[in-house]
Amino acid sequence: MILFGSSFLVYNLAAYASDPLAELRLSTDDGARQQIISLTRSLNLDTPPPIRYFLWLKGVLGIFVGKLNLGVTREGFTVQEELAYAIPVTVRLVLAATVTAVLFGLALGIISALRQYSRFDYGMTFLAFLLYSLPIFWVAVLLKEFMAIQFNNFLSEPNIPIRWMIIFSIFTGVFWSSLFGGERKRFWRVFGGAFATSFVILWAIDLTDWYLTPGLGPILIAFLSVGIAFGVTAISTGLSNAAAKKAALTMAGLAVAWYYPAQWIFNNFVSYFTIFILISMIVLTGLGLSRVYSKIDRRPIARTAIITGILSGFLILADRIMQSWDDYRATDAVNGRPVPTYGQRKDQLVTEDFWLNNLDIIMHLILPTLALILISLAGWIRFTRGALLEVLNQDYIRTARAKGLNERVVVTRHAFRNMMLPLSSLFVGEFVGLIGGAVITERVFGWQGMGTLGIKAINSYDLNLLMGVNLLLSILVISGNLIADLVYSALDPRIRLGK
Amino acid sequence: MKLFGRKEKTTGEILAGGENAIANKEVEGLSQGQIVRRRFFHHRAAVIALVSFASIILFVMTSLDSKVGPIRIPGWWQWTVEDIPELRYEDCPGGTTGCPTISIDPTSDAFGLGTHPFGQDDIGRDYFALVMNGARRSLMIMFVIGAVSGFIGVVVGSISGFYGKKVDAVLMRLVDFIQTVPTIIIAAVIGKAAGKVGPLYLALFLGILGWTGLARLVRAQFLSLREMEFVDAARVAGASNLRITFKHILPNAVGQIIVVITLIMAGAILTETALSYLGFGVVAPDVSLGLLISQYESSFTTRPWLFWWPGFFIISIALCVNFIGDGLRDAFDPRQRRRITKKDREQAKLQVKAGE
Amino acid sequence: MTEKNVLQISNFNVDFWVDGVWYPAVIDMNLGLAAGKVTAIVGESGSGKSTTALGLMSLLASNARMAGSVVVKGEEMLNAKSAVLGQFRGKEVAYIFQEPMTALNPLFTIGYQIVETLRNHFDMGPKEAHARALELITMVDIPDPELSINKYPHQLSGGQRQRAMIAQALACDPALLVADEPTTALDVTVQAEILDLMRGLKDKLNSAILLITHDMGVVADMADEILVMKDGITVEKGTADQIFNKPQHPYTQQLLGSVPKLGSTKKRALPYTEDAKPDPVLKLSNVTIEYPKRGRQPAFTAVKNFNLEIYPGEIVGLVGESGSGKTTVGRAAIGLLPIKEGSLEIVGKDISHATQKELFTIRRHTGIVFQDPASSLNPRLPIGESIGEPLFLAGLAKGAELAQKVEELLDQVELPRSYRNRYPHELSGGQRQRVGIARALALTPDLLIADEPTSALDVSVQARFLDLLQELQVKLNFACLFISHDLAVVDILCHRIAVMQNGLLVEVGDRDQILKKPKDDYTKRLISAVPVPDPAEQRIRREARLALKK
Repeated sequence: MILFGSSFLVYNLAAYASDPLAELRLSTDDGARQQIISLTRSLNLDTPPPIRYFLWLKGVLGIFVGKLNLGVTREGFTVQEELAYAIPVTVRLVLAATVTAVLFGLALGIISALRQYSRFDYGMTFLAFLLYSLPIFWVAVLLKEFMAIQFNNFLSEPNIPIRWMIIFSIFTGVFWSSLFGGERKRFWRVFGGAFATSFVILWAIDLTDWYLTPGLGPILIAFLSVGIAFGVTAISTGLSNAAAKKAALTMAGLAVAWYYPAQWIFNNFVSYFTIFILISMIVLTGLGLSRVYSKIDRRPIARTAIITGILSGFLILADRIMQSWDDYRATDAVNGRPVPTYGQRKDQLVTEDFWLNNLDIIMHLILPTLALILISLAGWIRFTRGALLEVLNQDYIRTARAKGLNERVVVTRHAFRNMMLPLSSLFVGEFVGLIGGAVITERVFGWQGMGTLGIKAINSYDLNLLMGVNLLLSILVISGNLIADLVYSALDPRIRLGK
Repeated sequence: MKLFGRKEKTTGEILAGGENAIANKEVEGLSQGQIVRRRFFHHRAAVIALVSFASIILFVMTSLDSKVGPIRIPGWWQWTVEDIPELRYEDCPGGTTGCPTISIDPTSDAFGLGTHPFGQDDIGRDYFALVMNGARRSLMIMFVIGAVSGFIGVVVGSISGFYGKKVDAVLMRLVDFIQTVPTIIIAAVIGKAAGKVGPLYLALFLGILGWTGLARLVRAQFLSLREMEFVDAARVAGASNLRITFKHILPNAVGQIIVVITLIMAGAILTETALSYLGFGVVAPDVSLGLLISQYESSFTTRPWLFWWPGFFIISIALCVNFIGDGLRDAFDPRQRRRITKKDREQAKLQVKAGE
Repeated sequence: MTEKNVLQISNFNVDFWVDGVWYPAVIDMNLGLAAGKVTAIVGESGSGKSTTALGLMSLLASNARMAGSVVVKGEEMLNAKSAVLGQFRGKEVAYIFQEPMTALNPLFTIGYQIVETLRNHFDMGPKEAHARALELITMVDIPDPELSINKYPHQLSGGQRQRAMIAQALACDPALLVADEPTTALDVTVQAEILDLMRGLKDKLNSAILLITHDMGVVADMADEILVMKDGITVEKGTADQIFNKPQHPYTQQLLGSVPKLGSTKKRALPYTEDAKPDPVLKLSNVTIEYPKRGRQPAFTAVKNFNLEIYPGEIVGLVGESGSGKTTVGRAAIGLLPIKEGSLEIVGKDISHATQKELFTIRRHTGIVFQDPASSLNPRLPIGESIGEPLFLAGLAKGAELAQKVEELLDQVELPRSYRNRYPHELSGGQRQRVGIARALALTPDLLIADEPTSALDVSVQARFLDLLQELQVKLNFACLFISHDLAVVDILCHRIAVMQNGLLVEVGDRDQILKKPKDDYTKRLISAVPVPDPAEQRIRREARLALKK
């Protein structure tokens, strides 16, 4: 019902505020007269707006009988076509951005709350404020300049100057050392370690010109997988859980062992379906390992193993994509400037290669997604931090500690779940809100998504198109709210079960 | 199930033991307003933000000529927006024109502000004047939106929260309705139409769109304050609804309201500049910071100053307002008691040792 | 003696850091507790008793600093490694907290939370833990254990929740049970049951109990040894018999003196005779009050067929447990709630269908004192304004005249005149309640409604408040409807008592008649459940009550 109201409002507002034929009327071109007539006919411009609305509505309701008619745009395409093309574009962008922003925002917010009033916390808070205050279009243009144009320039003459290496390493050092906190000695130790590691890595990159032919290689993957295994175990069950540790390490080992077979699969018959099969295999293996290593308490073991497996698998996947980098750069379409600033994909790049295609898509996705992430990250960090702090002040956290549960369990099991409650309903709201930001990003990066469509509609006074976009967005918002409510009531037993 | 017996203590209160009696010593003899003011000024970042904000406003507003009714107050800046002085090209990198004359190198003889510290645009207009003009627009729009949204939000929220039931249901539907209309689209449509009429109308329209969050908050405050016993006491004493609202409930909700209004204002300036960027907000020949950025985004590589300065002002204004809002929030919400850091603990140990 | 003790505290000090200064909360505490014994720590708010309880196992906030020694079963707990603390917490030392609704995680079933404790300390599989949890839930007498084990905290009643918390605490057979105001949030009948449960379990499992409370009745019921604390200092220590019968320290004496004791007051005459009854000040006839349907919650009848008359000059106590409807009656009597059926007359005028204007004039005959000192005064207004508001709105005084009257009212409640310009947050709870009285009496009402005015006050503060109320009542001769759950307080104050349960009037009559010779079963149960601050007497009462149950 709200839909009717709002769409009615928008329609009339737009109709009265604009005259699609204004430009044409002013034109002295001969063909203009003809165009005015044809457009008037196809767009029903001789009927007053409120009535036109009902005509349009009739078309919309046609969806229930399978004949959706949203009208025709100025150029003569059906609105449906245009929308159908644009929707996946925008959704892809916003989804990727939201998911990443949530993951990082959650992580940073949680750490911030746990280390309240530490340097890290203040730093994060300030960062959040800064990001909050950034205008998205400014950020987008900045990214375009530095990450794309400059980076591409950089690639043509790759050489990392020493001072950049030092500066970057300092930043890394500061970040990790403030994250771990602690007194002076520990601070400097972590700083030193992080600094050294990052410096060495950068130097190695520079030395080997890694960015020309990037890849992780089986050795690095093995190393990283073992690290992942430990990390996941530490958070999921605690390192004292031997079974989980063993399962995770086995999984990591299997992942490494699968490296070469995976390459063969990737090079010969890869598709989204194959990837799906591989993921399922990981899950099954995880379940199997849990049976092997534990008789009674299988779930946490399985969970740990599966997560380790998926993350390691992801590494291998990323590695394969990186292997295509050189080929990618060499293609005509890319021509040595791989970071793109325009469009969702290179239309000139015609290739059957699964990897090149995906790499292309990913490259085009990077910058706009980054712009969106930066903006929404702020909100997530602050909200997570606030929510977690509030939860940690509750009585049941004190009870959990009084029961003898160690701090890790208190946070991951009790605090986390209670914190997720308000957060989950926020997720949908943010997703919807980010669509607004997407409008601008699309314009900066030249994506043909719903935002650009909407702008085009407004600029050319194309009412039908505008209504189509508006309808879709409204549906998204309303369903978003509905989903948020549903999620909240599903997760909160107090609402689900009542009294 | 009603809880009676000893008043329930929060974890914080229990853990702090006799702390509350001690903490109250800090606030003896002060009214609520004074306490809040005190707490605000303890918050360093917020105070810095406040001072910066005030100075930015002063700076921006007085730099160019302004017309207050029939009186024309001259600004202190030499160029106006209409002047088109000669386009400077000497000393400009890469053959560009109109680069900034500002120099911070004390050894060069160009040290100082020069004639065009922010540079010049394509046709030679002084960029500083343009940026100041744009900043003024944005500030004005921001305040108008804050006032309009604030007013509507408080009124709707209070009516909804106070009277409840049917009125509440209807008003909440209205809030939902406005929230569902995708703001960017409506704002764009309105902007396109209203932009020609002037930025004031744009601000009014945006204000009419932006009050929903505030209304919800005010409503929530009213719903909880309405149940407070002092409201019952006032009612028993014979207070009319109007009196209860204005004397009893609103003053207790004002803290949260102010905080949300600052957030709305910070968001407002970002929205307005975004709309101007897209072409739907403030349109030429008017100047807006967003418009400037959109006009010159392609020349970023060659003439970066055209891009940096408007952005800098947008960010500073938004950042200041955000910090002020945060400071206000901390000032109104006394629950955030600072915990001790390791350093303080060490210091305290030393104090005790010294005292022994 | 010290070696065999389950808990041994020596020279225990706790300080809190607030803005640069360390404030002491617990000073030089010493305590020894043996297995199977109950030691109670009593004190008023701010005495440091909860801080002691939490500090034992280092559960205080990070701005706390502890010194001294806390030894549990031979192991030092203060500044112990977190591994050691993790081992002892929940397993050797278990906690029961005051408000089970917030102390249990609302997102997990009670079964899960008990299982969690078990599996954290023992190497148990899920099935085994589940069986043991079921055992525990049955042991604490939660009805329908099979179903309840999968219930969430909000689905249980308050008493059941506390039982669940006890089950969780006892899961690992702890040597020491620390109970921090375990029954304060419960109805008095439920409290009696929980105390019985705790006593039974203590005997069965031979655990030591450290009981933190402010309620001397509970102490008399449970404790073997008592520690009295004031402002962090242990003022007196001794056996229950010593403390109750031969208190040495003046504070202890004063504390015990302030505790209202059921059945200790002298006979009291009604201010009128049966034959020459004056017109009632308040008359409720067949009153039914309903809370309207709200969203999914159906309409709820809070009070049904209620009849009560209050005559000039008398104090009638309205007692009942939570959900009995007593507060609803109070609010309706002053016109804050509409009546669905029946009639409500104040000084002869029926207000059940009165308009706002009529209500306004009638309300001048009534005044109300609220329960919560924290929310009964507008924090933005100075006290003087809050007190003067009724006068101002009734048009009886303005400006200087109003200030004069306010000062008189302040005198009446024994507060300094200068308080007129102070704000609520600068006053203590007791002082705020006095302001409440001043405000209620501003229009010299015929009827004063007191809605649990002392429930949130410390015992000594409560005693002074009740004294004041009595003095004022004698001087100004107003009628009073005193709503309370505390029978002992009602005993001191009231001429007549009315008992409510589930919205119905169960019994009404003379104070002495109700308390000494109750007719209704519920009244009998209610009275027998109230603990008296005298161990010997309490034991007799307890046994009588248990006999009643059978």
